[in-house]
Amino acid sequence: MVGDLTTQKEEMQKFQEAEMLKTLDLNYKNELIRSMEWLGEKDDTLFIGQAVKYSGNAMYNTTKTISDDKKIEVPVLEDVQMGMSMGMALEGFVPITCYPRFDFLILATNQLVNHLDKINIISEGQFQPRVIIRTSIGSRIPLDAGEQHTQDHTQAYRSLLKRVDVVTLEESDDIFPAFKHAYERQPLSKYDSLVTLIIEWGDHYNAK
Amino acid sequence: MSKPRLANYLAKKRKITWTPKELIEFEDKVKEKWETGTVRGPVHLSKGNEEPLIHIFQYIHQEDWVFSTWRNHYHALLHGIPEDWLMEEILRGRSMKIMNRDYRFATSAIVGGIIPHALGVAMALKRNDYVPSYRGIQNNSGPGSDRKVWCFVGDMTFETGVFHECYKYAKNFDLPIQFIVEDNNLSTNTPTDETWGVKQEIPNDYSESGKLIYYQYERGFPHHGSGSWVLF
Repeated sequence: MVGDLTTQKEEMQKFQEAEMLKTLDLNYKNELIRSMEWLGEKDDTLFIGQAVKYSGNAMYNTTKTISDDKKIEVPVLEDVQMGMSMGMALEGFVPITCYPRFDFLILATNQLVNHLDKINIISEGQFQPRVIIRTSIGSRIPLDAGEQHTQDHTQAYRSLLKRVDVVTLEESDDIFPAFKHAYERQPLSKYDSLVTLIIEWGDHYNAK
Repeated sequence: MSKPRLANYLAKKRKITWTPKELIEFEDKVKEKWETGTVRGPVHLSKGNEEPLIHIFQYIHQEDWVFSTWRNHYHALLHGIPEDWLMEEILRGRSMKIMNRDYRFATSAIVGGIIPHALGVAMALKRNDYVPSYRGIQNNSGPGSDRKVWCFVGDMTFETGVFHECYKYAKNFDLPIQFIVEDNNLSTNTPTDETWGVKQEIPNDYSESGKLIYYQYERGFPHHGSGSWVLF
């Protein structure tokens, strides 16, 4: 009896995973790779983060075709990473600063909320750093990474950030235009932020 | 008051026109304005560290970046920011957030906030062959540039994790940055030594790296304001 129930449960789980797989966006990862390659061709861009240069998480699969010269693999220092990205932007670089899970971005919230989101106002528009922040809602299939690796904090960050543009990439068609806009958009006033937080769906990284 | 330790290689000097007396007089003018209640924001006045700062700023050049904190008036003046401009900013209530792009001067009112920014600028300067200009703003970078970043922090900030992460990174990658620890043993009015049990000594690692300058002084004003009017 118990064995039958276990078998039924396993079959149901397989069925549910198969149904979820059908909803995956098969072009999602390719569009991320295309966007990163497009950004990688620019003179002033740099890719900063953990596992931008060495494999270690799914986001790496979207940067592995970029030249190593354009990548700065950093230690685990999330808040410093956000601040150093801003510092590099003050000297003219456009950092694409990568946080492979939303759960890890929380550790960089001081620099994001207290500094990057406010620097234009604090400096009365003298400093307008352009920074592209990538993060991802951790995947639940085929492996469920659990409570500390899969959270979606989009609404919380929309509330915390007054000027940073928060963009979610729901469909593959959203991806390239979002990164292009983040790189190219011009400020309407000196108080406009040129910082973009781009939120990706980790479940789609594994789709082929 | 201890004499600041400076690395031997900092040989390029410039003449500082400000005297200790003139710096004190500037802050006294701010104090007078503050006490009339016309300054609509907090002020953090400096006093007691004029001589070490004048000594240090001989080595800081106009094209260098200076990162400071909420207590920034002396740093701004010594970096060459015009006195009238600075006073106007203070009167507008902007003392805690003095920023000047032309003089490459930036601050933060968050403890340790500027250290990663300073680190990032230093990383950019080291890679400066990449960037022809700052989107139209001439930055005088280029191969061979000897521009530096100077990052001022207090002794409580010196104890924080963010300082140690940034210092270690800067040292290991030999970035063009100098950290200056200004030790008055106070964070607002909280004694650093009492709250940490004991203050860290300056390890040999710091002085040998040439990236850390350290001096002690006694704070001549309260944490903010002049001791009268309001707290915030």
